[in-house]
Amino acid sequence: MLNVKDLHAEVDDKMILKGINLNIKPGEIHAIMGRNGSGKSTLSNLITGKEGYTITRGDILYKNESITDWSIERRALAGIFMSFQYPVVMPGVNNTYFLKAALNAKLKNAGEKELNAAEFLKLVKKKLIDLDMDTSYLQRAVNEGFSGGEKKRNEILQMLTLEPELAIMDETDSGLDIDALKIIANGVNKYRNPNRSFLVITHYQRLLKYIEPDIVHVLIDGKFVRSGGKELALELEEKGYQWLDQ
Amino acid sequence: MARSVVPNYLITEFDKILSRKYFSKEVGPVRKEAFDNFIRNGLPNKNLEGWQNTDLSSIKKSDFRIAEIDDGPQETVDLSQYGFEFFHTIIIYNGHFQEDISSVPKGVKLLSNLEYLEQKNWKVSQPDKSPFDLLNTAFMDSGVSLVIEDGVEIANPLRILFVCSGEQKLMTNPRVHIDLGHSSSLTLIEEHVGKCNKYLLNESMIIDIDANARLEHIRIQNNSRSTINMGNIHIGQQNDSNYTFVQFAKGSRLGRINIFADLIGEGANSSINGLSLSNDNQHLDTNIVTNHLAPHCRSGQNFKSILKDHSSGFFNGRTIVQKGAEKTDSNQSNKNLILSKNALMNSNPQLEIYTDDVKCSHGSSTGSLEEDALFYIKSRGIDAESATSLLVHGFASEIIETIKNDIIREYILDQFNKWLDKSN
Repeated sequence: MLNVKDLHAEVDDKMILKGINLNIKPGEIHAIMGRNGSGKSTLSNLITGKEGYTITRGDILYKNESITDWSIERRALAGIFMSFQYPVVMPGVNNTYFLKAALNAKLKNAGEKELNAAEFLKLVKKKLIDLDMDTSYLQRAVNEGFSGGEKKRNEILQMLTLEPELAIMDETDSGLDIDALKIIANGVNKYRNPNRSFLVITHYQRLLKYIEPDIVHVLIDGKFVRSGGKELALELEEKGYQWLDQ
Repeated sequence: MARSVVPNYLITEFDKILSRKYFSKEVGPVRKEAFDNFIRNGLPNKNLEGWQNTDLSSIKKSDFRIAEIDDGPQETVDLSQYGFEFFHTIIIYNGHFQEDISSVPKGVKLLSNLEYLEQKNWKVSQPDKSPFDLLNTAFMDSGVSLVIEDGVEIANPLRILFVCSGEQKLMTNPRVHIDLGHSSSLTLIEEHVGKCNKYLLNESMIIDIDANARLEHIRIQNNSRSTINMGNIHIGQQNDSNYTFVQFAKGSRLGRINIFADLIGEGANSSINGLSLSNDNQHLDTNIVTNHLAPHCRSGQNFKSILKDHSSGFFNGRTIVQKGAEKTDSNQSNKNLILSKNALMNSNPQLEIYTDDVKCSHGSSTGSLEEDALFYIKSRGIDAESATSLLVHGFASEIIETIKNDIIREYILDQFNKWLDKSN
């Protein structure tokens, strides 16, 4: 699904990623844990295509194709999705309108029939129930006046609607109370299947209790210093990152 | 002090209007007084507060002339080209009221301005807050007065359509009086249209809203691109009255509104909003003075501009809370979206408070589209052009949504979409 090879990248001449190797197979959940500034967000931004980074060495392959020259929207249409750490507030842009535009862009790209307003509403209402969200979400402007938990739920609503094959969850758990966390984890677990992969980026082991990863990577200063099974997350929780500092 | 600038053509045209046979002689002294006043200071220069960002050289240098009978329509005006044809419409074409094709809803009394003056025993004070008001009084050549009696609520919107048309360099000065009686209500659409060459339209509108009455005023400024559109609007509000103004401006080479809103009676509510869209070398200007003269009044100023190409704009909003206007609740907001590195916006929100126990806020922001927002939208598979359009729509919608009437709102939304598509 995703194959990151020896990825080196910099921002404003500062080297952030110093040789990342990551191979996520269909159906797998990988978790990346690391402190602030370790390069977690840089990696997810590079996969989704945000501008402002320079890849100095290495490559990113998605379904065996290099995507580093692809536009942001092309990557999204190909099935890459990121749940943002800080979802953007868009005053005046209706949530339903935005979500419908995104879904129809995907359907159109796939050569399928676009949904009309009624068809779309029917589909999205089912997803809302899964996330314990009420329909008032749909009338509001995108993320405007949303609490932290509501914003994150709205991200997962977008994920469930757009049905990506590779979902990156960038600190989706930060700042969430345990109930919100469970709801989100539930949404993700229901969505799991052998063709969908996840990259879960987090500070905390807590999320990984609810979304069980296949492989955990520890990112320090732009490099994976350790990779292992889910027990690595527990060990990290116990011993802290200092244990791995060189 | 700078020398007063009075273009020569104004002097010759003023003699013409004074000697015009079909205008009442009685108006002569009113005109003269206003013109004398105007000549004392001339056209505003850049040292005059509120005029520092408005380039009036096109008014100084041009040779406008007043509109004659021959400048009226050569055949009946085809209203279907101007939208809203199903609304009652008052048509003023190149400074000539088109009585035969105009109509008003039941309950609205339509008077000529002379009839209005006579009915008021000539006790009508002439507006003088803007130099262009003085010019309007000196040259007033057309217009109407609308009177709505106490307790009369008009359900259907009424439109006043100003058509500026033809190749002549015309100057027209329409005057409109609107009196709303106690507990009456009206929705007024003021629309500026027409294909024309260089043209100066200088309109003064005087609105009196009696206690508990309500006026929704929608101004659509859609003149052609060589026109100068100057709108001077004066509102006086009594107790518990409501005034909502929404301007949608996308036309003219130079457009400027000067709004003077006086909250005279307790509990009056004034909401003044606008959306200006400019491209090429347009300049669109907004000047508002909201004057709180009584306690317990609420006011809002909310203006947005979207600028492209080499266009420019100016927002100059003032809210004054006079002594004694306790419990005033006012807010003022100006937000501007710059879509080209060559566009320029000046914003000057001002708040003057002379009393205690008030709640007032103001703010202004100017910037381009946020990169983070564009990234967010594109990361959902939406292409760059649609992402931009989505954000610009979102920015504008706050103002467009303030229009309550569905037909009018949809019409403006459609015009907005066309503007966005065309100039993208």
